[in-house]
Amino acid sequence: MSESNTANSSCATIVLEDLTKQYPGQAVPAVDHVTMEIPAGEIVVLVGPSGCGKTTTMKMINRLIEPTSGRVLIDGVDAMTLEPDAHRRSIGYVIQQIGLFPHMTIADNIGLVPRMEKWSRSRIHTRVDELLELVGLDPADYRNRYPRQLSGGQQQRVGVARALAVDPPVMLMDEPFGATDPITRERLQNEFLRLQRELRKTIVFVTHDFDEALKMGDRIAVLRDRSEIVQYDTPRAILAAPADDYVASFIGSGGQLKRLGLIPISEATLHPYPAQANGSLPTVVDDRTLRDCLDAMLAAGSESTVVINRAGDKRGCVTLADLMSAVGAAESTDQPAGA
Amino acid sequence: MTALPQAPGQIAAATPVRRRSRLTPGLAIRPLFLAAVILVVWLWVHYAQQDSIEQRNLTHSAIEHRLAQHIKVSLTATVLTIAFAVPLGIAVTRRRARPIRPFALLLGNLGQAIPSIGLITLIALWWQPGFWAAVIGLVAYSTLPVLRNTMVGIQQVDPALIEAARGMGLSRVAVLTRVELPLAVPVILAGIRTALVLTVATATLVTFISAGGLGDGLVAGINLNRPMLSFTYGVIAAVLALFADWLGGVIERLLRPQGV
Repeated sequence: MSESNTANSSCATIVLEDLTKQYPGQAVPAVDHVTMEIPAGEIVVLVGPSGCGKTTTMKMINRLIEPTSGRVLIDGVDAMTLEPDAHRRSIGYVIQQIGLFPHMTIADNIGLVPRMEKWSRSRIHTRVDELLELVGLDPADYRNRYPRQLSGGQQQRVGVARALAVDPPVMLMDEPFGATDPITRERLQNEFLRLQRELRKTIVFVTHDFDEALKMGDRIAVLRDRSEIVQYDTPRAILAAPADDYVASFIGSGGQLKRLGLIPISEATLHPYPAQANGSLPTVVDDRTLRDCLDAMLAAGSESTVVINRAGDKRGCVTLADLMSAVGAAESTDQPAGA
Repeated sequence: MTALPQAPGQIAAATPVRRRSRLTPGLAIRPLFLAAVILVVWLWVHYAQQDSIEQRNLTHSAIEHRLAQHIKVSLTATVLTIAFAVPLGIAVTRRRARPIRPFALLLGNLGQAIPSIGLITLIALWWQPGFWAAVIGLVAYSTLPVLRNTMVGIQQVDPALIEAARGMGLSRVAVLTRVELPLAVPVILAGIRTALVLTVATATLVTFISAGGLGDGLVAGINLNRPMLSFTYGVIAAVLALFADWLGGVIERLLRPQGV
């Protein structure tokens, strides 16, 4: 992405301090003294059952819901001291229902916040095209269409582009891919992760789907009622050592398989390719995970698999014993990140 | 620049979308039909035997005068209704106005529930007969559809859109002017169209408080037992109401936001 058109490309650290929301007339607060730090440039997933206060917590960051007490600091600046609308314009916002304005073209939808920020017409035009290309939609084809002329997946791409319009350092995403079918969701997730590798935004991502949290999160905060943080750590650390039964129940069955799914083959030590097993072993491409190795072994009924690169060159072997030690090793090497 | 893989869905969606034309030839049917009705009545009146009363009331200038009065009182009332009921409808949909919402609707219901002839007479008796009493009566009578449709039009806007707009940093005023009102336009216009037709039809009654209009000729025909008079003015009033309805329909089509 060219940097010419960006207003503010740095990312920011978000700190929540004793953040509380007490609705009038309710016995218990919806969010009760939440304190957490969201490191700059990371995706932090808030995951928990519906009604646990994860969305409320997120909406207090851009003050769509005003906290009863506590503070939100973005790069050290207290959000309560900012004008709410200007504060919200500096934070990208993506919701499950997408919320594209049906009476505006795609270009007008994306250009709305830049227009409110008084950008020049030509700068908005360039930015809209740049963003459409970024999310994989041809500007010439799509800029003058109306939202109803797009599929759900395309609409959510535009939703992401719109949230990125003024290049906000922080993005809030409330179950952004929740309303799409599994195949589209998977594709949107992958595209978004690829985008994030370049953009390095600070992202708060809310979902109730633990598998999505594992996939998207640099860190995961597992929440219980009143937004109580039960465990806040990297996905691999949570899988390796769930803090309690509640977290374990959230992980569900197949926890070890999920752990293998998070370990890329590049982290494994490859054995030399055994000369005698010519052609009989299954192969796995080296950008996949250990889980894919296991799958290949199960499918072929062998105890090892050959790792090849994209070009098809054999790079070495992974054995069943390697997978077992990887799961065992992960337990001891994954240091819990400070919660 | 990152080019992300194109989704297969894009191929299907890339086929050109047919633009619905706003003004279709079918729209011409109504005015042509109304013109034909007027022509038939004109020919009938022109070749019929007329006594002096009928002649006096059926001259072009007599008809034009009453038609102009009728249009003037109807248009004034409709413009005032819009100026009163649309802002009121917007106001009562604001979050803070939630408690007074039922009262606003009650007011509108009352205006429409009281028989229009009684309402107009009451206002004339209480204040003074004439043009402005007629206008006030008509405004009270046609407020409800505009008020109700403005409220419904704004309330039916998908809450997710408002949430997205607020989350993007649009102020409450910007949410209203850029999202809520444009999306409510079709429903509000439908209400205005209803009000316009109601007003044009009801304005035949303002003759009773000496505010003129097509009702003059209609009532004169009844009082003086001249059916040709009543019939002619009645047809003109009906044609005017149907024409107003057609005009409202055309405006609705022209002002409907694209993409919806």
